This record gives sequence, structure tokens and C-alpha cells, in this order.
Amino acid sequence: MSDGKRLIYILWPSFIVAGVATGVVFTVFDPTDLRFFDREITLSRTAVYSIGFFLFWLFAAGSSALTCFFQRSSADLNRPRGAPFDRPQTPPGKGTVH
Amino acid sequence: MNDPREGDAVVRAPKGGAGAAAVRNASEGEGAQALYAARKKIYPRTVHGRFDRWRWVLVWATQIVFYGLPWLTWNGRQAVLFDLAARKFYIFGFVFWPQDFIYLTALLIISALALFLFTAVGGRLWCGYACPQTVYTEIFMWIERKIEGGRAQRMLLDEAPVSARKVAVKGAKHAAWIAVSLWTGFTFVGYFTPITELLGAVAALATGPWETFWILFYGFATYGNAGWMREQVCKYMCPYARFQSAMFDRDTLIITYDAGRGEPRGPRSRKAVRAEIPLGDCVNCGLCVDVCPTGIDIREGLQYECIGCAACIDACDEVMGKFGYPRGLIRYSTENALAHGWDARKMVRRVLRARTLVYGAILFAVCAALAGALALRVPLKVDIVRDRASLAREVEGGRIENVYRIQVMNTQERAHRYRIGASGLPGIAVASDAQIEVPAATTRQVPLRIQIDPGTTAKGSHRIEVEVQSLDDAGVVAREQSVFLVR
Repeated sequence: MSDGKRLIYILWPSFIVAGVATGVVFTVFDPTDLRFFDREITLSRTAVYSIGFFLFWLFAAGSSALTCFFQRSSADLNRPRGAPFDRPQTPPGKGTVH
Repeated sequence: MNDPREGDAVVRAPKGGAGAAAVRNASEGEGAQALYAARKKIYPRTVHGRFDRWRWVLVWATQIVFYGLPWLTWNGRQAVLFDLAARKFYIFGFVFWPQDFIYLTALLIISALALFLFTAVGGRLWCGYACPQTVYTEIFMWIERKIEGGRAQRMLLDEAPVSARKVAVKGAKHAAWIAVSLWTGFTFVGYFTPITELLGAVAALATGPWETFWILFYGFATYGNAGWMREQVCKYMCPYARFQSAMFDRDTLIITYDAGRGEPRGPRSRKAVRAEIPLGDCVNCGLCVDVCPTGIDIREGLQYECIGCAACIDACDEVMGKFGYPRGLIRYSTENALAHGWDARKMVRRVLRARTLVYGAILFAVCAALAGALALRVPLKVDIVRDRASLAREVEGGRIENVYRIQVMNTQERAHRYRIGASGLPGIAVASDAQIEVPAATTRQVPLRIQIDPGTTAKGSHRIEVEVQSLDDAGVVAREQSVFLVR
């Protein structure tokens, strides 16, 4: 997998999940009822929704990134220090080999 | 939409040419594309025909709704407004509150089931005609064609070295794309914040930070998806494209190539007598491949990349017409119809089968439940919380009093005056103000004192019922259970 494709695999599913999570969480909780370290939140609701969306995106992206990280092959892990990653080459136009 | 330049330039570019252009394109550091190393830029040839016309009908229909809906007014306010800042959704005559989440859930279930049903019956009709990705790509390709020219001109332009003309043409295209994208982003945000105020703010360059951000964010997404990524979104990013095969069966409408009629394919002279050629009907012109927005060859069979846009049908029908062969070498059909040589009537009869009947029955049930719930919906919600500070106390005349806080939500767009009553214990009465006025679509919270006669009720907690009744509409009434404590 190329680095670019890996980036998409991390950012895109987490984007979808963040959208759903924002919708569900802020339907249930009103931002003006929330407290930030025991202090009232003075931001507008729109601001809290938006910040919340990016936090959800960040968390979900963290999970996706870990999934990608744990998918590394034993060849990747065993390679000598400094040696290039030994990734299986994708034949042109034949989809992805993980 | 008829582009004369397109029709004449029927020279098929050698594969290497398009590929080389694509590689150069990707290495020019154009963000979205570089994310896909193996991407070959696709230059779909323009096509005109029955299905292309249908797609444009749908482009117009969906976009008139999308761009126009926020400008409609209803009851003196925006007809469709998802007012996130006030936590109220206005949809024509209805006002939805966060407590109405159940309706939104039902709507999502209906959307999902409808998609299942339509996919099982019609295949990827949604993808080919109505999906925003398709619709915006169609609009953006139209702009591209008007500014850069037909397929051959676009390929030449991409391969040409940088020149003043190239910069001007490309710049004009991107400016037009960005203008459409920004208007789309503005419209999108206009669904969440009153659009006339938003327009004023935009004109005065005084939009709030988050409004500005989301206009630009959605605009950028439109520009990137419809301008740059196009079929990549369908092939790699769309979840529906990945799982639609689960809803397909052998009776699902798909775009098929009739191999039995077409093979063996091969070129021939238009003047040749049909009966004397030892070939099938496919003249191997390659137009079906050239027009495909995802760059596949439909003659290789059903592929998940096929978004069902029917551009190959339009292209093939035109060629069949030129050769005087019957249309429909590539056509909408089903796997069963193709295998058994069914006619259209037999194919249509298979629309009714176990899978579609089950999807349809569930869909109907959920729709009926939603419609019923909406029709019976009382525009009033009541919430009662016991005052935590006091339990029960004795007041004048020895009566026992409990204190509550009552929240009355008037979800209708006109003010109501309500009477608050209590029942369930001997001599129970509301001692605080028994009438409350709540303005249109607002919530009021007031203290509520309830008293009962002394000596009639045993110690402990007792169920009581509080009733809130509109004084001007007998149908608007809500009852809420609570607890009365006696010491």
C-alpha cells in the first residue's frame, strides 16, 4: 500500500464515523449543558459541534491508524535496522496486495 | 449540450498517450490525485442518447431542489432549516426537537430500506443518475468540455507544454469549478443557518468563523470530488459501491453486454452485407470503453466499478444505428433474462420475488408507522422533575405539599395557554399558578406545587399524574407520571 493510499484508508473511514458520531452525540447532549473541567462552556453551539466533529475524527483516525500499523507484516518487523520496507509489489492495474 | 467538436474527433488516442498524460498529471503534485499512485486519468468521451438525457433531467431535478429549497419560506420562516444553533429542525409544517430523534431514526431506516429495495430491483440506478457524486461530476465535466473542448482537445492540452494559453484555459476552468463549489458550500450551510441572513453576511464579508469554515470545507469537498477524484470516489471511497453486490441477485437490472449476439467481435465495412460476415454484432469500435466514466470494458461482464450510468448503452446504440443493426447489444437487462432469452415482460414479472417482497413489506411497515406517529404527534411535551431540596412539607390547613419543576415544551408554531392539573390522590390540587402561557416553539420551566388533603394518604411514595391541557385546542394534551411523597 502506498503512503497516500494508507492516508486515505486512515482519514476516510474515520471521517464517516466522525459524522455519524457527531450527529448521535449532539442529538443526545446539548453543548450548553456540558462542562469543560467543571467550567461552563462559553463557545457557541456551532463551535462545539464543529470542534466535537474534529475530535471524533481525530479519535477515529487514531483507531484506523492503529489498524494500519498492526497490519505490518513480519517481514516489515524483522527487516534489519535502516533497510527499506520490503513491501510486496502491486502488479500494475491489478488492485491492491496487502 | 451538443458539442460539434466532440463528434468529429473520433480518433482513439493510443493507450500509451493517455497513460503518459496521466502519469505526468499525477506527478504535477495535484493533491487528490497523487493519493492514488496507480490512477490513470480518464478522459470520458461525451455521449448523447436516451440515458444521457435522463441523467440531465435528474441533474436538473436534484439540483433545483438542492439549490432552491433553502430559499422557500413557510410560516414566515425558512421552510427547511436544520437550525443546529437553536437545536430545532424545521421541515415545512413540522418542528422537530432533539426529543424527536426517533423520527430521524425512522427516516434513516426508511432511506436505507428504500435503497435496498431499489438496488435489488433496479441495480445502481441511484449511482448512475441521482448520486451527488455523479451529478456534480456531470456538471463539472460539462464545464470542462465548454472551456477545454472535447476529449481529444483535453488530452492534447494536458500533454502540451506549459503555455500562456494552457494556463488561461486551465485557470478559467478552475475558476468556474471553484465558483460552483463555493455556491454549493454556501447552499449547504444555508440548510443549517438562515440562508437570507447568511447571504447578507457573505455579501458583507461578515460570516462567522464556523460558517466560513464549513462553506469552504464543503466547497473544497465538492471541488475535489467532482473535479479531481470523480470515479475514484465510486471505486475506492463509496461504501455503497462495496456492499451493493449483497443486494444483487440474478433478477437485478444491470447493464449487460449481449455476448451471444456480439461475439465474435470485429471490425467490418458499413456497406458489408450482414449475412455474409462471419462475425457477431460487436464492431469492436471501442466507444463503450471511451465513454465509460470509470474506464472499464462492459464487455468483460458485470464489474463493481460499473456505476450503471448507461453511457455505453447510448454509445453502442448509436453505432448499431449507423450499421443498421438493432439496438440493445449493450442494454439494461438481468442475468436471468440474458441467460434464458426472456423478453421485457417476463423480466418485469420477476420484479416480484421473495427478496423484493420482504424489503417492500418492511419498508411499507416502517413508512406507515412513521406516518401514523407523525399524524398522532401532539405538539406538546411535558417533563416533571421533583425538587431535590425538599421532600414533603406541611402547609396551611395541614395540607401536605410536594414541590416539582415542570418543563412545558410547545412544539407548535403558535403560542398556547395551558392548564396544569393533577390526579391520583384524594383532594389533590395544584397550588401554584395552574395556568401557563408558552410562546410558539419554545420551552418554559416553572415551579409546580402540588397539595393533598391531610390524613387521607398513607406514608410513603404514591404515583400521581400531571396533565397539561391546552385551553385553545382540546386535542393538545400531555400526561406525565410522577411521585408524591407523604411523611
